[in-house]
Amino acid sequence: MGELSQTPAKQQYYGTGRRKTSVARVFLRPGSGNFAVNGRSLEGYFLSETQRVLIRYPLQAAEMLDKMDVLITVRGGGINSQAGAARLGIARALLTYNAELRPQIKKLGLLTRDSRGKERKKYGRKGARKRFQFSKR
Amino acid sequence: MPRKGFVKYRPVAPDPIYSSPLVEKFIHCMMWDGKKAVAEKIFYGALQKVQERSGEDALRVFKKAVENVKPAMEVKTRRVGGANYQIPIEVEPERRASLSIRWLIGYARHRGEKGMTERLAGEFLDAYNNRGAAVKKKEDTHRMAEANRAFAHYRW
Repeated sequence: MGELSQTPAKQQYYGTGRRKTSVARVFLRPGSGNFAVNGRSLEGYFLSETQRVLIRYPLQAAEMLDKMDVLITVRGGGINSQAGAARLGIARALLTYNAELRPQIKKLGLLTRDSRGKERKKYGRKGARKRFQFSKR
Repeated sequence: MPRKGFVKYRPVAPDPIYSSPLVEKFIHCMMWDGKKAVAEKIFYGALQKVQERSGEDALRVFKKAVENVKPAMEVKTRRVGGANYQIPIEVEPERRASLSIRWLIGYARHRGEKGMTERLAGEFLDAYNNRGAAVKKKEDTHRMAEANRAFAHYRW
């Protein structure tokens, strides 16, 4: 797998993706399907196949898996939400490359920011919903 | 529970390896404490074992196993004039799948092999060949329904 330089390429398409507290910056460059995530390979960063499938999905849907190099920097959150953030970023970057893909990608729900996040803990409660243990006396 | 009507079934997203909603559902049912990665490892590991041992397509074996455990009839308790009757009823398709998954997991957990991966693989292969505790549970359920056939007219 070829190296991806961190310096901006001549031609690149950018997209931001977020999920939970993860933020991903995604740069798509015409290439041959190389991935770089925070300076590591796709397999080196996302250890579970489940996460990799998630990431490849938008490119696969657009049939661009072997036509783009993908450079991702992702911060915050856990590994799974980072994968989700990267996926959204890739989908958005794809649109700046070719806006005609929009209906096709939109239909798969790839452009929806998953708005689920941690619910805050409330006072008078043990957690967001759970009550303290009840004691009659 | 809603006050009016019933809750609609929500579709389950397909799993990442086989693109099968049934597989995803099974993994979810097996999961403890939200640890999906662990559940996935066990499940896919079990399918791999199935593949090695039977030489057949593991996904097909799994689907057949679930199919073989699905019950067609079960009994439901109903009170009629002070007495409780076991009334045989047909099982709804969704419930069939749920019961099948539940039994497969439950009886796999009670098996003697070492590790859940081995147990699941064993239970799948048994169910695929119409053997094993989960299939027996289905047959018991059918027998209960058959034995209480006399009360079938109390259906509501």
